[in-house]
Amino acid sequence: MAVPAITGKGAAKHPAAPFLPAKKTLAQRRGRAGLWFVMPWIVGFLLWYAIPMMASLWFSFTDFNLVSNEPTEFIGLDNWAKLFSDPEVRASVLVTARFGVIALPVAVLFPMGLAYLLVKKNLKGRETFRALFFMPSIIPFVAAVLIFGGVMNSQIGWVNKILELVGIDGPRWFLDKTYVYPALVFIGLWGVGNAMIIFIASMNSVPSTLYDAAKIDGASEWQSFRHVTLPLISPIIFYNLVIALIGLFNYFVVPFVLYNGSGDPGGATNFYALYFFRVGFQFFNMGYAATLAWALFVAAIAITGLLFWSAKYWVHYEYGRS
Amino acid sequence: MKRWNSVAVVVALMMVIAACGGETGSETTTTTGDTVGTEAPTTTSGDTAEEPSGDRTQIRWFVGIGAGGQPEQAEAQNAVVEEFNASQDEIELVIEIVDNDVAYETLATQIASNNPPDIIGPVGRDGSNAFSGLYLDLEPLVESTGFDTSIWPEETIENFREPDGTLPGLPFASFPSFIFFNKALFDEAGLPYPPQEYGPDGISVYGEGTEYEGTWDFNKVAEIGAILAVDANGNDATSPDFNGNNTTQWGFVWQWTDRLFQQGSFWGAGYPMADDGTADVPQTWEDEWKWYHDAVWGTGFAPGQEELDALGGNAFQSGAVAMAGTHLWYTCCVRDDANNIPGDFFDLAVMPSNNGVVTTNMHADTFRILASTKHPDEAFAVLSYLLTDAALPLLTAYGAAPADSTLTEDFFASLDERYPQGVNWQVALDSAAYADVPSHEQFLPGWEQYKEAMDTLQSGLLTDPGLDLDAAIPELEANLTAIFEENAE
Repeated sequence: MAVPAITGKGAAKHPAAPFLPAKKTLAQRRGRAGLWFVMPWIVGFLLWYAIPMMASLWFSFTDFNLVSNEPTEFIGLDNWAKLFSDPEVRASVLVTARFGVIALPVAVLFPMGLAYLLVKKNLKGRETFRALFFMPSIIPFVAAVLIFGGVMNSQIGWVNKILELVGIDGPRWFLDKTYVYPALVFIGLWGVGNAMIIFIASMNSVPSTLYDAAKIDGASEWQSFRHVTLPLISPIIFYNLVIALIGLFNYFVVPFVLYNGSGDPGGATNFYALYFFRVGFQFFNMGYAATLAWALFVAAIAITGLLFWSAKYWVHYEYGRS
Repeated sequence: MKRWNSVAVVVALMMVIAACGGETGSETTTTTGDTVGTEAPTTTSGDTAEEPSGDRTQIRWFVGIGAGGQPEQAEAQNAVVEEFNASQDEIELVIEIVDNDVAYETLATQIASNNPPDIIGPVGRDGSNAFSGLYLDLEPLVESTGFDTSIWPEETIENFREPDGTLPGLPFASFPSFIFFNKALFDEAGLPYPPQEYGPDGISVYGEGTEYEGTWDFNKVAEIGAILAVDANGNDATSPDFNGNNTTQWGFVWQWTDRLFQQGSFWGAGYPMADDGTADVPQTWEDEWKWYHDAVWGTGFAPGQEELDALGGNAFQSGAVAMAGTHLWYTCCVRDDANNIPGDFFDLAVMPSNNGVVTTNMHADTFRILASTKHPDEAFAVLSYLLTDAALPLLTAYGAAPADSTLTEDFFASLDERYPQGVNWQVALDSAAYADVPSHEQFLPGWEQYKEAMDTLQSGLLTDPGLDLDAAIPELEANLTAIFEENAE
């Protein structure tokens, strides 16, 4: 049956008039309200992330220099060509990669090992140990780096003083190319509390029935860990690996605080992020710095993507991926 | 729900407006004459900075890329601003004091965002080089205003002239260099004090009438430096039992003057760029670098990087170093204000010679007007005030010797109050006659990259006992040539 048209004053008052816009559902109204609530974040994201990112992409095609009295000019792919021929870039990528070979496994395995020990029910003072191992991560990292600079100073640091007591001539930790990466990794252990807590939570979530079943099947402690714990915490290993990898790409604070960005010893700490900082904020060459930043971003996306691709071969999702 | 929507919109807008508001950096203190001191700063936004305040033309004075950031200096500068603003009603001077750590970035950002200050300084050659080409030529203003430049020697003025003939700076402060020595350590070692007068052609004699008598040159510094360097077991560096890994006292240090182009220049002034634009490190610099590397890692009478770190960075003040080659500005830091580290242990000696030539590096600070200023006449009026009427209180606060010789006596009297042991300041005055020409801070294309390349080798010098300088120097020159070519105009 055709609905009669309503005209005149009655039209505005008739809620069911078919030619009026349909009233929004409750979900739609709530959705719109929610949008207003997240608006500050969206505005902030646009103003301080999205637009600056796009601007920096544009800068990477220009010769933008903060202190130049020449007008900024579009130079096409010159900065990108320079990136691939710049020996400093090559050297800093190598430094970052070499450090990563040591730092990445430690950044994942050390907190995992700590967590494994700290979930043992027969460990006395377990809660105290957890607190003690977590507490360093709440101390400002810059302060910790400065303290370690003194602790591991070969002249006055107590690490070498202790080694001296047992007849070992301690090395120059931060100034010897052989020891500098282990020393930097050692400093990094200061902040493993967060990763450790996440590992503890994931290990605690492994159903005890699985361990009971493994025990009945005659599995040893190692076999239980290898075949029960490890697969079930593999998503957390994956997560911590991704976080550590991104941290590696941005590795800056420790070498900057310890060496004032000099790259000591002999360029061994001239990490990519430090080079980027120097180009942008010491040489004020913002065009090339933007190129370096975008190259870092692309590399980080590519390697993280590779990790995600590899996840299907080694990450075990008990209930499937959500 | 509508009400909530409205509230959300208002909150969002308020946050955006607040975030986009005036630039209020925590490091920046902006003060006009009416509000002096960091307790009640008036912070001007970039938008309003160029607007006149009432009928007055506002001139912004940016401090931070050189001296001026210390609290007592800030106090003196604020007083100067207040006095200037009270002295006339045409110009409102506004000072922006920025922490040195972020001053370069802050100034660069202000320039890039078309919001530059009118005047910057005090700033030396090094700091000025970072913004080379952006300064106003002062000569037309000097001529049009009839500003009296006779208060300074002609050669001091010419020292500021650029190769293109412009004059972007006028003399204000000078910091000659010489030797600070620790009297107690010399007494303890039974050594005569270093000479305090330059001889004919600058060459002095050390230990006249003693077994140590000889020309006061860097070989002599090495000789007595080795006697003054002592390890934990009490052996000095001339002893075969000396343990250089456990040194507790050193003979010599380049105190905050150890950048390679600085320390090299003490052995002879030079310019590391050849006429064809390629890098060519002066031979005297190379000789000095090898001498200092040996001082650190061979004889062991100079501290390496880790030892400097262990001494807290201020090696001479620690009392563990007998001699320090540095500038007059180091009077800032030979004691602390609470006198917890008393500064009564030192005196001054003349700079040693190298191959019969004495070279004392000279630092010269001044104020500069940026060419982008919209009010050059007013900015020059302020600059004139800073260089003349306000010079003495500012120089005293900065610890800088006046370029105007009529102010010298008052300046050193103020230093005597700080160091009452009777320091021979005449050494500082006499050292100015041997200033390095060309300056070790003479502008080079890609100045910041040049410094970074030099610093990389310098860190090797202070950290690597096996550094092969014969191989490293050609590598450095190749790097520098690439930098010069890349930045050539």
